[in-house]
Amino acid sequence: MKPPSFAYEAPEALDDALALLDRHGDDAKVLAGGQSLVPLLNFRLARPARLIDINGVPGLASISERDGTISIGAMTRQRTIETSPLVASRAPLLAAATRWIGHPPIRTRGTIGGSLAHNDPSGEYPAVLLALDAQVRIRSQRGERVLGIDAFLGEWLSTALGPDELVIAVEIPIGSKHATYGFAEVAKRHGDFALAGVAARFTLDGSHIGDARIVAFGGVARATRLTAAEDAIRGRVPNETLFGEANRAATAAIDPISDLHATGEYRRHLTGVLVVRALRQAFGEA
Amino acid sequence: MSANEGWIGRRVQRREDLPLIQGKGRFAADLTMPDMVHMAVLRSPHAHARLLGVDTSKARELPGVFDVLTSADLDGIGEFPVLWQLPGQKASGIPVLARDKVRYVGEPVAAVVAVSRYVAEDALELIEADYDPLPTVVDVESALKAGAPVINEAWGDNVAIRHIVPGIDATGKAGDIDGAFAAADAVVKARFKINRFSGVPLETRGLVASHDPLTHGLTLWSSSQVAHKQRTQLASVLGVPESSIRVMTPNLGGGFGVKWDCYPEDALVCLFSQRLQRPVKWIEDRREHLMGTVHAREQVQELEAAVARDGTILGIRGKIWADLGAHIHSVGIGPAWVTGVSLTGQYRIKNYYCEVIGVATNKVPSSTFRGFGGPEATFATERLIEKAARAVGLDPAEVRRKNFIQPDEFPWFSAGGGVFDSGNYPAALEKALEEVDYDHLREEQAGLRAKGVYRGIGIGCYIHTSGFGPSFILGLVGYNTSGYEGSSIKVDPQGGITIYTGMIPLGQGTETTLAQVAADQFGVDFNDVRVVWGDTSQTPYTGFGSAGSRSNVAAAAILKAAEVVRDKSIRIGAHLLEAAPEDVVYENGGVQVKGSPEKRLTLGDVAKAAYLAHNLPKGELPTLEGTYVYDPAMFTIAFGCHVAVVDVDLETGEVKIVRYVVVDDSGTIINPLLVEGQIQGGVAMGLGGALLEEFVYDENGQLLTTSFMDYLLPSIHEVPHMELHQQVTVSPHTPGGFKGMGEAGMFSPGAALANAVSDALLPFGVEVDRMPITSNLVWSLLPKS
Repeated sequence: MKPPSFAYEAPEALDDALALLDRHGDDAKVLAGGQSLVPLLNFRLARPARLIDINGVPGLASISERDGTISIGAMTRQRTIETSPLVASRAPLLAAATRWIGHPPIRTRGTIGGSLAHNDPSGEYPAVLLALDAQVRIRSQRGERVLGIDAFLGEWLSTALGPDELVIAVEIPIGSKHATYGFAEVAKRHGDFALAGVAARFTLDGSHIGDARIVAFGGVARATRLTAAEDAIRGRVPNETLFGEANRAATAAIDPISDLHATGEYRRHLTGVLVVRALRQAFGEA
Repeated sequence: MSANEGWIGRRVQRREDLPLIQGKGRFAADLTMPDMVHMAVLRSPHAHARLLGVDTSKARELPGVFDVLTSADLDGIGEFPVLWQLPGQKASGIPVLARDKVRYVGEPVAAVVAVSRYVAEDALELIEADYDPLPTVVDVESALKAGAPVINEAWGDNVAIRHIVPGIDATGKAGDIDGAFAAADAVVKARFKINRFSGVPLETRGLVASHDPLTHGLTLWSSSQVAHKQRTQLASVLGVPESSIRVMTPNLGGGFGVKWDCYPEDALVCLFSQRLQRPVKWIEDRREHLMGTVHAREQVQELEAAVARDGTILGIRGKIWADLGAHIHSVGIGPAWVTGVSLTGQYRIKNYYCEVIGVATNKVPSSTFRGFGGPEATFATERLIEKAARAVGLDPAEVRRKNFIQPDEFPWFSAGGGVFDSGNYPAALEKALEEVDYDHLREEQAGLRAKGVYRGIGIGCYIHTSGFGPSFILGLVGYNTSGYEGSSIKVDPQGGITIYTGMIPLGQGTETTLAQVAADQFGVDFNDVRVVWGDTSQTPYTGFGSAGSRSNVAAAAILKAAEVVRDKSIRIGAHLLEAAPEDVVYENGGVQVKGSPEKRLTLGDVAKAAYLAHNLPKGELPTLEGTYVYDPAMFTIAFGCHVAVVDVDLETGEVKIVRYVVVDDSGTIINPLLVEGQIQGGVAMGLGGALLEEFVYDENGQLLTTSFMDYLLPSIHEVPHMELHQQVTVSPHTPGGFKGMGEAGMFSPGAALANAVSDALLPFGVEVDRMPITSNLVWSLLPKS
């Protein structure tokens, strides 16, 4: 469990980091929090010729609010997000979900940009950011672009990120004051990757459900919107009967894999149950 | 009682802890030496393949590589022997490096030594091993099918042994198992599956071998639980005199049985060190540990119990298939044999029959692990009792009461051939039920169900055969090792006491415990007793060494050695005090004339005289030391009862432990604090196996659980608060009345939890007959509606 040899770069400015990525992107890996990359290196499952450590690049680790958007720098540690009063008040779903990532030592190293760029299908952040309709700010020497989270996320650990590109920040629309959320997952142990999970954000339209974004993760190729379940509840009055409809719509729409930790059938069932639990969190035991 | 008396039974804090928590421990990984080089091992990626050739030429050319070994280089090097050879068990051994064939993923094929572990691992990638894959068998069912691929060709099939345990009484007369089933009012049948899991110590295995050109000897620093046995086995594998090897053990971060076995790497580091004349270090990484260190436990059991209407269990019979993995490891089918002789548990079940079938599969060899076949039996027995209770409509506690061996029935001769020394099984159950408030829980249960709370109460009683074991019995069952423990006690000229033990502290507080026993026997301050361990050149030989349940054997040896030294002190003291030895007693740290406390010498006074030897009794030899080798007269049977209270989430299948009550009885307690720690650790480990841990293989024999992401140990979040209670029933056999206790906590969690979950889901007729009890398993057992 020792990595093969690699070159190590530790740029101290964003431009330097981007220049290195431009030159070596195809056979380089960006080292952020290292919570996924370092084990992959030690197992020799990832064999980049070069690591570009961006921990020394200034300006990538702030949380700020501007024009109805929360902007979180890519190198912001998960633990910082978990304890940020701004995140707690403006994006409480993100704060709630962060507590499900690993354990405090892991969250103290792990970053939001790293989680997104790694895009583990069982990871909490891709799912939560999809539920929150976030934007991903990306930069390279060619320039800057902003991608919607849905377009950013690919299947099975892939993303739309080019080899020369770096995630700079994640931007989350604060949206309606009349919003509510739910987050639920089942893991074998506290802190393990989810067997199945659901992140959901809703707006309220009087006594009715307004917009609904319900995202399933764990055992599927990527964080996935459960649009049939969303359609089933949008514009309706929340109650247990409706939640049951959402459960059925969710389980009909999803087809998770079987692996050593759980069967696909169980994961599908769990997803339905967790949709109901997320709805109950959002609307109470209606 | 003075401050220096009564050390046995005191809650003394562990003397080991301060350096360890200050980071001053010295583990194998901490050792470093001039010119030291590092070993890495190439392991088979195939579960079953012919090994056509291994080309190491490119690896040898890599800068920084010193040496490479394959089986072609091992002429004259033997295999690690199977120590436990039951009659009829087929021949096997553990090769140092695979020759001609690989039989499991992870089997060592070649080894490299290089300037660093990094370079050594780079070199492994340059070795070209040519494999011709063969069909694999990954479970006992497929291994036994007609035409199944044969793993060990010389056997002809995959059956290592079929061993029959006939039920017998104290005179050796067979019971009437068929009659018992014919007379039964109900017969309960079950097929139990015990999961493959094992001891996963925080510290993996570690070795540093150093060849000494001056003495032509070899020193091996090793994380072994039993240095003397390792030395014996290494001498035979390497073909060198035992006296030329010195094995030393630094601090160990857990052992749990898996460091009892010997492994190919033990020989490889020694060979490299001899060849290179340099110290060679190997620290097992976690991936290697999970695929290279022995697994344990995996069994399929088909059992049935004959039950009378009043709850009496008339007989138990059935078969056990033990999944041994690719090689018979050092203890062979020993653990499965223990299961096979133990299924009557703590119950007065006279009619018994069990067939134990050891089966080879393309998996990591299975061997020693805390509990050693016992927890597998406890799971089965306690599940059968529960099923029997349901079959005749009685409370499971009542059926246990009905069948317990009673306190006045000892020594008890079990139908499996065991002799039980002492016990009070009913008291342990009643204490556990009282503490958990069983009657109230039962009353509450129905009301909770109406509210949608599915609460279950599960009892798991256990017996634990500890103090393993009398050497003559080990001989009778074909176990080619010994069961005694020696202790030497030396009193230095100042009166300071040093005890020498073959036991190796694995983290359980052995040093503290043994020092307490000696302090107690000499009436001195505990802090004035030194304990020397972990060096074959200094410590008494032990063929068995450290196991969680052997402090009792070592403690007994210290009691007896102390007696030798005290007797000598009395003889010398009497001579100096000009009294007859029979008028002199050892008391309060010295010798004195009975009734004349002013005529007294301290142990230091006596020691000084013993070393000066100016004035000793006629015929008395100088110095003050004593040695005793204690071979247990009998096994000691510890016992107890666990009660688990759980809530089951019907939607997700998740099991939440609401309460966990433990009553343990391990005879005389040396240190209650350490006993509690051992029980908590044992229960946590048992819960891990019950709920989470399993080595999972795919159909091609690939091990899927090769990191802690997939092999799931219980963490602080998963281990509940335990309510611990102790009772004491002394052993009539051991000096001091001790029984072993280090493994006890491990026995019942599986049974208690399976019973609790089954109890919670009684309205749905769910029976949990396998482990680990995952949420997925529980959900799959629930009716779908």
